[in-house]
Amino acid sequence: MLRTDAEKSSLSWSGIVAIVVLVVLLILAPDLLNPGLLFIVGMTLIQSIFALSWNLLFGFTGLASFGHAGFFAIGAYFTGAALRYDFPLPFFVVLAIAGLGGALVALIIGVVALKRLTGIFLAVLTVALTEALSKIISFTPALGEQDGLGSIPRPIIDLGLFQMDLTHVNDYYRFLVVASVLIIAGLWCVVHSRLGRTFCAIREDADRARFVGINVARFRVISFMISGGTAALAGALSAPWTRIVTLDQVNWLASTQPILNSLLGGFTSFWGPIVGSAAFSVISHWTRPFPGMSEVIVGGVLVLVILVAPTGILGLLGKLRRRLTRKGDKA
Amino acid sequence: MTSQAVFVLFNGLASGMAFFLVAAGLTWVFGILKILNLAHGAFFMLGAYISYTIGGAWPGSIWIYLGVAVIAAAAVGALGFLTDQIVLKRLRDVDYHYALIATFGLMLFCEGIAKLIWGADYYAVMPPPELDWPVQIGGTYISVYTLFVIATGLVVFAVLELIMNRTWAGKIMRAVSNDPWMAGTVGINVPMVLMAAVMASFALAGFAGGILVPNQALSPHVGASFILYAFMAVVIGGLGSIRGTFIACILLGIVESANATFMAQYGGIAIFIMLAVFLIWKPNGLFPAQGGH
Repeated sequence: MLRTDAEKSSLSWSGIVAIVVLVVLLILAPDLLNPGLLFIVGMTLIQSIFALSWNLLFGFTGLASFGHAGFFAIGAYFTGAALRYDFPLPFFVVLAIAGLGGALVALIIGVVALKRLTGIFLAVLTVALTEALSKIISFTPALGEQDGLGSIPRPIIDLGLFQMDLTHVNDYYRFLVVASVLIIAGLWCVVHSRLGRTFCAIREDADRARFVGINVARFRVISFMISGGTAALAGALSAPWTRIVTLDQVNWLASTQPILNSLLGGFTSFWGPIVGSAAFSVISHWTRPFPGMSEVIVGGVLVLVILVAPTGILGLLGKLRRRLTRKGDKA
Repeated sequence: MTSQAVFVLFNGLASGMAFFLVAAGLTWVFGILKILNLAHGAFFMLGAYISYTIGGAWPGSIWIYLGVAVIAAAAVGALGFLTDQIVLKRLRDVDYHYALIATFGLMLFCEGIAKLIWGADYYAVMPPPELDWPVQIGGTYISVYTLFVIATGLVVFAVLELIMNRTWAGKIMRAVSNDPWMAGTVGINVPMVLMAAVMASFALAGFAGGILVPNQALSPHVGASFILYAFMAVVIGGLGSIRGTFIACILLGIVESANATFMAQYGGIAIFIMLAVFLIWKPNGLFPAQGGH
């Protein structure tokens, strides 16, 4: 596979400055944007985490899940139900249970299937399981059946000494920014740790990884668990943001989203999925008025990216930069 | 009770054969190209729309209906040629993940095109008059159209088996599938054979679209609902094995039909349990094909 940027183990100074500026802008966003655009920015953050979780599996471990929306839905429906029916649990515990629940489901699938099933079997299995989950939800009155789970309240977090009231949009948004930065930082650490290098070794050549003593099946399951848990967390954060969870989030199209975002931004780079999520938000915002058009553009872009630029936007930028600097050297 | 069993059996066989008509092209092209074409259901959907556009909602006779299905097959086969030239050809030597994702994108693209051309509304197409009446079998009424779908599935299966096992074309295809390099050295035009296989697979999807269009409401999502069953059948039967896919389709159809009749409140859940059982018990399918992933 193509591999350029992902293994660079440290951030450059300019990169750190760019991230700090971006985070400051995100924190200030409620004062700069109208509520409609703020909602889109929040969704982009959630989609970024979702795409990063998918790419941990694909870009780093070499496994493709085509039903990742299932994990997202586990987190979203659990959190939605917990807030709606007022479970006597602190919000952080709800988030933790959602993430662990996603990881647990991934573990079960992994133990049953991942040892033998990679590639196409995994693709079909994940699609089928997500469809099965969607069926189960549609039979469950407490989860709103076909109509979805609506009017989810935003949480009030009790920290003992004081309370964090997140019921207002702007407050929940800032909580979302902080949570996203923490999750992204956590994933960055995973990718750049010994564990992340083990995942890369398995992706590059599972047989050789086995020869040097890596338990390939076990690390595939671990990667699947981290990925599933993170996707569930993304779903958990989304439920209070959108305030409604529907079956539209548990199907093929929803599972395409992280794939598209990762490929669009560049799956060979850690930051690619985030760039892709932002780029996709812009595209879908522009094509919103034309029904059918968004599928044509999304599908067309996906095919085009695979055929013309499999390393995505960041890959293209990197190529452009190398070309420019080479020309600079000659002159 | 017996009448209910007969009903479940015939309905199950009919849906099984409908799944097989869609899955046949999918498993065939996988057997030869080793590409799982996720867009197959979308091309089936295009075939159904093309038949609806040419034949209208009330086909005048069975010959018009069959003729329209053949035209749909030819049209989707031609689309297959285009798709092969533009997309699939470039995916032959890359990691299979790229092929999966590119065909996934192709599926979305086709669904979007269908929405743009025909809109998101549902259409209904009637079976031709010769097939649109019930017969009494074992105490229950079965539509002749149901029997016709079962017969068509059997015929398509028999023809594919004959082509693959008894003819010169089938031998060439198996040779190319087993070892493209060696097939090339003995003088077989490998790119041509692969292109022919892709076109045949797409034509099968288009034909299935034409035959099955009276079976259910036509919408841009009709492909997605069929392709899920087709995937399951292909996985249960063994990727690339037509015989395995055929048996798996019948099993899926009957399980689905029994589920819908005896446990209607949990409709559609039994096949997932069945898939899970097969994945654990026989992860490579009933008839594992050589060279699959």
